[in-house]
Amino acid sequence: MTSSELENLRKGALEELSKIESLSELEGFKVKFLGKKGVITQKLKSLKSLPLEEKRQVGSFLNRLKEELLRGIQNKEKELLFKEEDRDLGIDLTLPGRKRAIGAIHPLNVVINELCEIFGRLGFSIATGPEVETEYYNFTALNIPDWHPARDMQATFYLKNGAILRTHTSPIQIRTMLKKKPPLRIVAPGKVYRYDADVRHSPMFHQIEGLMVDKRVSFADLKGILTYFAQETFGEGTRVRFRPSYFPFTEPSVEMDIGCVICGGKGCRVCSHTGWLEILGAGMVHPEVFKAAGYDPSEWQGFAFGMGIERIAMIKYGIDDIRLFFENHRNFLQSFK
Amino acid sequence: MRVPLSWLKEFIDVKASAEEVAEILTMGGIEVEEVFDPYEELGELITVKVLEVSFPEKLKELALCRVTDGRQEFTLLTTAKDQVAPGLVLGAVKPGSMVFSGEKVEEKVVKGFKSYGMFLSPYEAGLGLEKDKLLSFPPDTPPGVSIYEVLKVVEPVLELAITPNRGDALSILGAARELYALTKWELREPSFEEGEGFELNEVVKIEDEDGCFRYTGRLLKGIEVRESPFYIQKRLWLCGQRPINNVVDITNYVMLELGQPLHAFDWETLEGRKIIVRKAREGEKLLMLDGVVRELSSEDLVIADAKRPVALAGIMGGEETGVREGTKEVFLEAAWFNPKRIRRTSQRLKVSTDSSYRFERCVDPEGVLKGLLRACELLKKEAGAKEVSRVIDVYPRPYKAPKIYVSFERVNQYLGFELNKEEVKEYLSRVGKVKEEKEGVEFIPFSYRQDLKIPEDLIEEIARIYGYEKIPTTFPVAELYAEAPLFEIKVLQKVREILSGLGFYEVVNYSFIDPSWIEALMLKDGDRRLKVLELANPLSVNQSVMRTSLVPGLIETARINYFREVSGLKAFELGKVFFPTDDVLAYEPYHLGILMMGYRDKDEWYAEDARFDIFDLKGVLEELFSALKLEVELRPYSEEPFLKRGLSFDLYLGEKKVGFAGGVKNLVLKAFDLKEVVFVAEVDLEALLEPLKDAWEKVEVKKPPKYPSTFRDVTCIVKKELKIGEIFKYIKSLEVPWLEEVKCIKIYEGPPIPEGEKSISLRFWYRAKDRTLKDEEVNQVQEELARKIFEHFGARPR
Repeated sequence: MTSSELENLRKGALEELSKIESLSELEGFKVKFLGKKGVITQKLKSLKSLPLEEKRQVGSFLNRLKEELLRGIQNKEKELLFKEEDRDLGIDLTLPGRKRAIGAIHPLNVVINELCEIFGRLGFSIATGPEVETEYYNFTALNIPDWHPARDMQATFYLKNGAILRTHTSPIQIRTMLKKKPPLRIVAPGKVYRYDADVRHSPMFHQIEGLMVDKRVSFADLKGILTYFAQETFGEGTRVRFRPSYFPFTEPSVEMDIGCVICGGKGCRVCSHTGWLEILGAGMVHPEVFKAAGYDPSEWQGFAFGMGIERIAMIKYGIDDIRLFFENHRNFLQSFK
Repeated sequence: MRVPLSWLKEFIDVKASAEEVAEILTMGGIEVEEVFDPYEELGELITVKVLEVSFPEKLKELALCRVTDGRQEFTLLTTAKDQVAPGLVLGAVKPGSMVFSGEKVEEKVVKGFKSYGMFLSPYEAGLGLEKDKLLSFPPDTPPGVSIYEVLKVVEPVLELAITPNRGDALSILGAARELYALTKWELREPSFEEGEGFELNEVVKIEDEDGCFRYTGRLLKGIEVRESPFYIQKRLWLCGQRPINNVVDITNYVMLELGQPLHAFDWETLEGRKIIVRKAREGEKLLMLDGVVRELSSEDLVIADAKRPVALAGIMGGEETGVREGTKEVFLEAAWFNPKRIRRTSQRLKVSTDSSYRFERCVDPEGVLKGLLRACELLKKEAGAKEVSRVIDVYPRPYKAPKIYVSFERVNQYLGFELNKEEVKEYLSRVGKVKEEKEGVEFIPFSYRQDLKIPEDLIEEIARIYGYEKIPTTFPVAELYAEAPLFEIKVLQKVREILSGLGFYEVVNYSFIDPSWIEALMLKDGDRRLKVLELANPLSVNQSVMRTSLVPGLIETARINYFREVSGLKAFELGKVFFPTDDVLAYEPYHLGILMMGYRDKDEWYAEDARFDIFDLKGVLEELFSALKLEVELRPYSEEPFLKRGLSFDLYLGEKKVGFAGGVKNLVLKAFDLKEVVFVAEVDLEALLEPLKDAWEKVEVKKPPKYPSTFRDVTCIVKKELKIGEIFKYIKSLEVPWLEEVKCIKIYEGPPIPEGEKSISLRFWYRAKDRTLKDEEVNQVQEELARKIFEHFGARPR
């Protein structure tokens, strides 16, 4: 076989391969050239009769061609297979998917979880207490005797049996201290109740209480922990300020404000043009509270804080009506997926 | 409390603007809620130029003026006919604004002539006493400008929010003292002379020394009751009070100024000319200045004359003995009453006044006399008092200031940083007397600072005067310890995650509900949920009892959503329900409530519209309990009367009922005005806690199978009533070897299956743990099993 004959054989085969459009044709092509009785197989078999030099040359050409065709067939096969699978199926992919909706945790619990997690990092564990309370735990043990005007600060719901609905989560401080020896680090979230209802007040709302008791926990530490909390909750750049205040169960007492997140401190309606938003009340635990809980105030000191969850959530999410939390409309709840 | 800056300046050398003072006070612990100018708050009080004046006959005594404010022209009517003329610039007020006397100005029409507001007198403008004159300006004054701008009247007033411990700050002097403590600006403590007086003996007697610690008084004769001078009226107005007459105004003025409440009796109305401070007699009645007769109890403290109570001590005077027009002789009272007693009575009778508010929060025992003398001074000057008695001062147990010791070490340890001794002493010296003593200070608070009692109170004073902002911000050094989270919290969290993952929205409903919501459940007599805790003082009846079930709240949630265009809702609530106990505290277990309302699929291209059915709810509960690793049985047919029996389950853990699930009856939904399919479930989580603890301790981990499984199907015809559950139960009881799982894969009713029967297909999976099962051995087991099923249920192969 002359080299031009061989070259023609190659060209013919490659051209035939390039025209193939189906897998069955490709199979036929494979049999035709590379099958047992295929053209190339036959030619290779007939090499024996050729002189040595020619045998070597033609043999090597045919072997190369065989490999080339095998590769070509493989590529063709891939091409044909993909062409089948890649074809437009006429399916309208712009239709929406089958709904597999997840639900959502209520925003107030989202915030509670987040706060518990933040304080959890600092070693605060979660404590709980009853929502139906006695006046003793809610007021008296917290250094608010019944004649004290501070009781006006918290309008109370009474039950007919003489119990009350707790007006704050602070009784959990007392209940926990009575059960556990110091040192102590707790946060206590929960529902609280006050005789109050308008756009900014709900008769039932949520608070989280915090308490840290140790040998040397100071007012400066209170500032440190609460600053950390504020920046974790409202963002790293959050400005905080501490103002003296009054709570019967802490001394010194303090209120913490954050720079208004709406106006950035310039002053707006939300912050009553002060540039600051009141976030929480706190202070060093009053010795009378320690005494009521059986802790020795000369040995232990610490701080407590409390804040409204709704307020935090309203600031965080820019919600202006507290009632939305308790209407439970799906669209509102969906926002917290 | 309102503090006009101009008044404050009488007591302290203010070296800053009103806004700066507000900032200093706020950061020192007296929160200033607002700085405002009461003149500005009045509204549109402006200059107008008179363009034309006419005197229509119909209007008789009135002049009709056409005026301009530079932007628009309008007409005003006035009786001051001779004071108006074209070209004059006068003061006027537009409708909607207020004037000094407290009246809101309206647009008026007199006999068809409109008065768009009115001309201002100096009095109505709050600038002077003249009421008949019109306020006029030089003719070149531009119209339409605020009259206060023209006259350069600026009266910034600070609105202070005083915490209950700081009764001492409830006055102008108190605010000045506070500002002094924070700034050390020069303070002018007022002092007053008693002066001469005639003898007046055996008038005052304190019978209840627990109720009244000090009683001072003075008789003033020759009083002329009339209108107060303007400066008194103006200051009362700046502080938000209305003038009444000079005597009453002076008592109020001094209370605002010095913080000492006062009361003036008409001496001649006091029977026997006696003042007796005593307990009220049970049932004794008193007509008070607000016109209300109140029945008193023996807890109340009264001021009485020889015959009857004449004032509720520290709260309000009696109507019959008060100062009126024509009063000539006034007995003026300044006292120091027991705060607790005042508060108790004020609370019981639900009457709170400026006076009781201050007494409850402690007035200055040493300020009583000052208050009395200051008022006498003013009564002499402004009410014509000529003859005055000597001061009566009954003071059975004089106030003794406490001595409080605090060590420097304690201060530093408490605050968490080092403050030098001199600073500590300096700050404390602004609120009391300081003596250095043994590495600390001995401190005696000024008598007005009754809130300072213990060393920690002093630490607060030091900290706030130093400045909270300047105190360093540190992290505590504390013992490291860790505590396992509360199991209950873990469970709630897990349930939250499971259900929100399954597409449910968590809701939070009120713990107090409408009693009719419980009634709507039609519970049987004796059901514990009927015994509710009732609120003694609910806001309204629909929040008046503590819930004993989460179901009503969830149906309400469904209703709210349904009426606001939500066609399908999956929701859950985790919250407490409340049951009375023998104790005062309640039993308040956590419950889980689940709600499915309306459509599962609606208006979707891939599915027919379909409402939720019982198997949606059942599937959720099965998945929930499976994920919680609890074997809770859903026993068909709940006993709950509000559920549709044929579509309901009671939930059992062993033999204990832990909840229920099912479709809510239409009659119940009707009570909630809801016409949509509702499924609910409620689970007592408290009952699950212990079992969950056990279940979570031993989690069984399944490994991938080593040997293949094989399955066999059986299709048979059975009676229509036969429950699949019974077949499963029967199969389970047989303990079939290698049987791993059985499922019902098809149920068919209808031709060719005869009426009253159904065809069911069951699939059985077999697998051995240690080898691949041979076909023959499986066939043998399966045939035996099929035979037993056919026999037991009277089934036949299809």
